Amino acid sequence: MGEKRIQAQHKKGKLTARERIDLLLDKDSFVELDMLVEHRCSNFGMDKVEAPGEGVVTGYGTINERLIYVFAQDFTVIGGSLGEMHAKKICKVLDMAMKMGAPCIGINDSGGARIQEGVDSLSGYGQLFYRNTIASGVIPQISIIVGPAAGGAVYSPAIMDFVFMVKNIGIMHITGPDVIKAVTGEVVTSEKLGGAMTHNRKSGVAHFAAENEEEVYQMVRKMMSFLPSNNMETPPSIECKDDPNRMEEALLNIVPTDPNKPYEMKDVIRYIVDEGDFFESHPYFATNMLTGFARLNGQSIGIIANQPKILAGCLDIDASDKAARFIRFCDAFNIPILTFVDVPGFLPGTAQEYGGIIRHGAKLLYAYSEATVPKITLIVRKSYGGAYLAMCSRDLGADQVIAWPTAEIAVMGSQGAANIIFRKEIAKADNPEKVRQEKIDEFQLKFSNPYEAAKRGYVDMVIDPRETRPRLITTFEMLSTKRETRPAKKHGNFPV
Amino acid sequence: MRKFQIKVDGKVYEVEVEEVGGNESSAGTVSVPQPVITKAKEEPVSQKVVKPSSSPAPAKAPTAAVPGEQVVAPMPGKVLQLKVTEGDSVKEGDTLLVLEAMKMENEIVANASGNIKKINVAANDMVDTGDVLMVIG
Repeated sequence: MGEKRIQAQHKKGKLTARERIDLLLDKDSFVELDMLVEHRCSNFGMDKVEAPGEGVVTGYGTINERLIYVFAQDFTVIGGSLGEMHAKKICKVLDMAMKMGAPCIGINDSGGARIQEGVDSLSGYGQLFYRNTIASGVIPQISIIVGPAAGGAVYSPAIMDFVFMVKNIGIMHITGPDVIKAVTGEVVTSEKLGGAMTHNRKSGVAHFAAENEEEVYQMVRKMMSFLPSNNMETPPSIECKDDPNRMEEALLNIVPTDPNKPYEMKDVIRYIVDEGDFFESHPYFATNMLTGFARLNGQSIGIIANQPKILAGCLDIDASDKAARFIRFCDAFNIPILTFVDVPGFLPGTAQEYGGIIRHGAKLLYAYSEATVPKITLIVRKSYGGAYLAMCSRDLGADQVIAWPTAEIAVMGSQGAANIIFRKEIAKADNPEKVRQEKIDEFQLKFSNPYEAAKRGYVDMVIDPRETRPRLITTFEMLSTKRETRPAKKHGNFPV
Repeated sequence: MRKFQIKVDGKVYEVEVEEVGGNESSAGTVSVPQPVITKAKEEPVSQKVVKPSSSPAPAKAPTAAVPGEQVVAPMPGKVLQLKVTEGDSVKEGDTLLVLEAMKMENEIVANASGNIKKINVAANDMVDTGDVLMVIG
């Protein structure tokens, strides 16, 4: 019977729980716990149902020789359904992960609550949510969705730090297509409702999408290489094969001189970081903002950057949410933050205002202000108004603000500013258009540069773009001993 | 959810159209239309797609949209330049038009591969967020 179920699992393009763990962890490192745990449900004939391992494989092992706790739901055992003892097994590894200060990785493939167990099963979910929350910011928690995760099952991954989904087999939704059809009449396929790309592109629930299972475990292993094991450690540093003093000619001409022209911010990042390796998080969601991990001289950093190619690099609701959550993760786990700025402002429009851009944008300000890790801001080109402040300005606690000569730091664009400041003069002039243009040019000349801001100390240095890499490396080194304390409090009231 | 009034044979229907998304098939979900103004006098004689009935039985309302992948404006702005014409074949990621918005010449790219079935805008047109610029089929 077990063999048949395994075949069925493979037929769906899915691996078994143990195959998954073997791909995720270092070879032969896995030690299984609680293999003999049994459920104690006797309702509806459950006393006659044997559920080997309670439908979840739990234990510990290593990734790149560092301790990792893992649980993998086993769909071949009563659909990987979550009952009281199934949940207890997961809770045990989470508790151990917290005590030992090691990351916990969950592999989700479950039909949902084990209905026969009634409220015991619900309690199981509650226990998970509670532990995920307590462990949040203590150890990295990663969720891999390689099967269904429906109803309550979605919230444990949602509380964890990063969600990986595999295309065509990973599904997450609160209510399935059948319920939706019955209640609202809307017809939607499971994949379109809660598939990998839906959550990567539209909802932002998932941070990564993989083509298949083999790929997803490699992605998780790579991500772990950037992270410390817990909040008391610093991220592992690796030997850097890329010259820390590398000057990069290409950076001189990468930003178009015409401020109206878009360009690829990822190119800028890749020219600067070690070996051009930028591990992007949330690559399909709110693509006007970039987030991801990289290394400078072998040290992990978290990168937040505006993407001028998409939506002009504007800040909007989704971009603010995406960046704020990433910043908080970096801060919780002692990963220094590097911010690339080229932002024209917040995206205008009723959709944004009604959607609450004010409270969402506030998250970005809050997250940057709250973060005590080393923060460096590199202003590449535009930096206007509220968005200038939001992108880790000096006033939000940037430790160093570095600008390229192409930087423009102003309260708003020159056209709008001239029209407001010189409205009367322009109106009174014999030739208003000529005067308007003169005033625009005057404002442009005064503020379309980083020097006005540097005069006040808002910008620490203006550098030759070619020397960006060595400058950033030495600056992060200088900041590496940074200690910053905040007033004692239970917790702030994060604007969610 | 957007509301439209559609007139068929002198009867006005109120339909709600929800756009499901940009990159997947978005023919739109049409909720049950109900006649809001009913002209009691004349009975429709011509054969139309929609036959208004006084009973509350749901009827399918026609949507004016050309089926296919819709390319929508991501933000309000001015169309600077069209890079394609109707009938062109495009690949996902190809630049379709340049939209000037937020003082940036934004390249709007194809969200699917196929042929340009319809172009709804011309150079110098002002567009709003969500406006359908083109349809790729």
